[in-house]
Amino acid sequence: MDVKLPRLGEGADSGVVVNIMVSEGEQIQKDQTILELENEKAVAPIPSPLSGTIQKIHVKEGDEITVGQVLISLAEEAAAPQPAAKAKAEEFPQRAEKAGAPVREAPEEAGLAQEYRYEPKSGFPPPAPPSIRKLATDLGIDLTRVQGSEPGGRITLNDVRAYIQRLQQIAFAKKPAVTREAPAREPESIDFAKWGPVSKKRMSPLRRTVAERTSEAWATVPHVFQLDEGDITAAMELRKKYAPLYEKKGARLTLTGLVLKAAIAPLKKFPIFNASLDETTQEIVYKEYFHIGVAVDTESGLIVPVIRDVDKKNLLEISKELAELAERTRQRKISLEELQGGTLTISNLGGIGGAHFTPIVYKPQSAVIGLGQGELKAVVRDGKVEARLMLPVTLSYDHRLIDGADGARFVRELVQALESFKEADFNLEGK
Amino acid sequence: MDPLKTEIVVLGAGPGGYAAAFYAADREKKVILVDEGRRLGGVCLNRGCIPSKALLHATHLIREAKASSQHGITFGDPRIDLEQMRSWKESVLDKLGQGLGGLAQKRGVEVLQGRGHFEDSQTLRVETPAGQKFINYETAIIAVGSKAAMPAAFDLGNPRVMTSTEALELEEVPDELLVVGGGYIGMELGTVYATLGSKVTLVELLDSILLGADADMVRPVMRYAQEAFKEVRLKTKVLKMATSGKQIKVTMESDKQRIEELYDRVLVCVGRAPNCKDLGLQNTKVQMDDRGFVKVNAQQRTADPAIYAIGDVVGGALLAHKATKEGRVAVEVITGEASSFQDVVIPAVIFTDPEVAWCGLTETEAKEKGIAVEVAKFPWAASGRAMTLDRTDGVTKLIIEPETERILGVGIVGAGAGELISEGVLAVEMGATARDLAGCVHPHPTLSETLMECAEVFYGYPTHTFVRKKTGSLLRKAAG
Repeated sequence: MDVKLPRLGEGADSGVVVNIMVSEGEQIQKDQTILELENEKAVAPIPSPLSGTIQKIHVKEGDEITVGQVLISLAEEAAAPQPAAKAKAEEFPQRAEKAGAPVREAPEEAGLAQEYRYEPKSGFPPPAPPSIRKLATDLGIDLTRVQGSEPGGRITLNDVRAYIQRLQQIAFAKKPAVTREAPAREPESIDFAKWGPVSKKRMSPLRRTVAERTSEAWATVPHVFQLDEGDITAAMELRKKYAPLYEKKGARLTLTGLVLKAAIAPLKKFPIFNASLDETTQEIVYKEYFHIGVAVDTESGLIVPVIRDVDKKNLLEISKELAELAERTRQRKISLEELQGGTLTISNLGGIGGAHFTPIVYKPQSAVIGLGQGELKAVVRDGKVEARLMLPVTLSYDHRLIDGADGARFVRELVQALESFKEADFNLEGK
Repeated sequence: MDPLKTEIVVLGAGPGGYAAAFYAADREKKVILVDEGRRLGGVCLNRGCIPSKALLHATHLIREAKASSQHGITFGDPRIDLEQMRSWKESVLDKLGQGLGGLAQKRGVEVLQGRGHFEDSQTLRVETPAGQKFINYETAIIAVGSKAAMPAAFDLGNPRVMTSTEALELEEVPDELLVVGGGYIGMELGTVYATLGSKVTLVELLDSILLGADADMVRPVMRYAQEAFKEVRLKTKVLKMATSGKQIKVTMESDKQRIEELYDRVLVCVGRAPNCKDLGLQNTKVQMDDRGFVKVNAQQRTADPAIYAIGDVVGGALLAHKATKEGRVAVEVITGEASSFQDVVIPAVIFTDPEVAWCGLTETEAKEKGIAVEVAKFPWAASGRAMTLDRTDGVTKLIIEPETERILGVGIVGAGAGELISEGVLAVEMGATARDLAGCVHPHPTLSETLMECAEVFYGYPTHTFVRKKTGSLLRKAAG
């Protein structure tokens, strides 16, 4: 059979093949990754719906492909038939509106059921007569958003009318106070070549995503940056002591791992740093889980995988998971889900160098921690000058949710957590 | 000589091309229609749908007459005048062709006979009987169609090895005819020749005839073929052919056995190939896929912004009505309308005996794609009308989405299935549920009732058959 690119979820109907993970003649298992597809949100692995032998691969790396395009031809094993579309409808990660965003409930008031979506198991388009489909095409209306009132969910002219009226109501309803539209400015075309030779390269989908997300965050989140330094002399000594032990267990003890661990106490003490603003309802959503994103520098740009439930893991588990996740991210073998649901982000540029920098809040999170390179500095302790290893720490946060005093308190708490690591924290058994 | 100037040039006057040209003219566009044929209508009218259906109709009577002895009316053996049959068929084609010419003229569509060749993205050179002409166009629609494929190994240059094109000329009725390929063309033409008296042997590479149709739809046709043909050989591969006096020596492999046989004629129906060669497409930005079909998007646009393509030449189902619909989409897009060839239900009809027709989702496709469906079937043995026609060898079935009861597909095998399927197309396109179909009163006694009763089978209350195991739930019954 021919394996085609399934629907990946809303809007994600095309992408660029970045990695083909199989070869012709290879025996593959059901759910084994065939290739990786880069779209605007992330790199998604495309699993095989069936086990079998690959007869032919129809795409190559760099191809832009769309839903329904044949990826490979598979000679099936004579096993019980596996329903292929099940994978299509249920097993594929749906593209979230914003990776990492909390799932938004449809607002109930004013009957604004704009989140309705027709998603039948069969994958067929919504039932509507050709005349209505034509009308929808003319008006540019997505019929999967229109709730049909007739048997079987069939959409009538009245349903389309009601839908448009609802859209109008929403459009003219009071807008959330926080969304202030930036004045629209037409991008200007500049001929750089008139000043000297240039070369051009198309922005990759990932680059475009980073650009979109950071400018959106910059435009809508009033940033405050709180700069501090943490004395990590003791922590680094402990790290040196325990590193070989961790290595034996197959883990690398890193500063990022320590900061992940240290961030939990301040997050618990100041839950607003683990919260998000729901701009549609003007509610603050406090999360009772601690999923921390770690910025990873990959060949093609910034990707932020998320470590789940950091508060429930010991340093060994965190270190192991961090290394494994970072490696898979660099190889672009990370799934969409693993990029979603983060509550705070840590960006450590210390490995490269430099002191303080001011990271941009990863919306809809409320804060991000930026780490620079630790440096030996002359510090006065008990009236004496000592050489201490000082780590530049920046906290960027969303002033809509958090005021300066809390920002300072959080940073102090974090620095203290970093400065008070004990042997017990490195214990392989403890939490 | 100055080039001709036009808004739209349509290359190829088959059912895709002429429909597009007429539609564009109806929308106030200046149109030139170019075709190398003497008569408009393309393969459909000249070498496909129409002549084959004329012959099938003519020969159908022979089969009817034979069967009517069962009903107490016995005819003598028919006398077949091939010459007369040919000229009647030709007269049909002529009338239709002239009709198209008249329709073009009334709309002001300029028809240019000759072979078209793209000089560049904006210019078409046409080799007319009166010499070269150049057309400077704004938009071109390629509708050059396809032709019957003849593998090089079978191409002996011997007229006894035919494609459908030659078979429809009906030069003679061979004693022993080999039909290579059990697709719809092979089955239809095999039926014509078998009725006219040929001993037909049909070989098919796969393990079933009529690829694409569900197994239960194929079964009655297979039963007919096994009776009317000398033999149907499945899983058989034709290896080579050679001229042997006035016959063709054919070597094939079946069941690992090598067979060598002599035939008076061989009809090769192994598929169709797009007519993309020698069109000068290399002078445009038009791109082809690896099978040689022109690549287009859902708006029928090729990679060249000035050129659209429709019909067989873009692949998919090689059917006249699909080409016509694509032609409409192309013209709508060209004239600035939001239009696309998406979610369009294209019915398929095979004019065998009995006919097979389906639209929308098939059971085979549902299985392949893992789509959960419920299937309701109504056997024609339970239809009064089928009984009076002595054609109970039919089945009507509905492919239904269980949660919504929406009709996703319809399949019919039986006499006149090709005419009946249109109601199925309407149901699928309108998003009808089985309840809708069951609720529409169908006239009695007709074969169309089988569609209504089939929907009733789904709910468990068909009048003319009994369903022990209800497919639809009792709740649904109560709701009805």
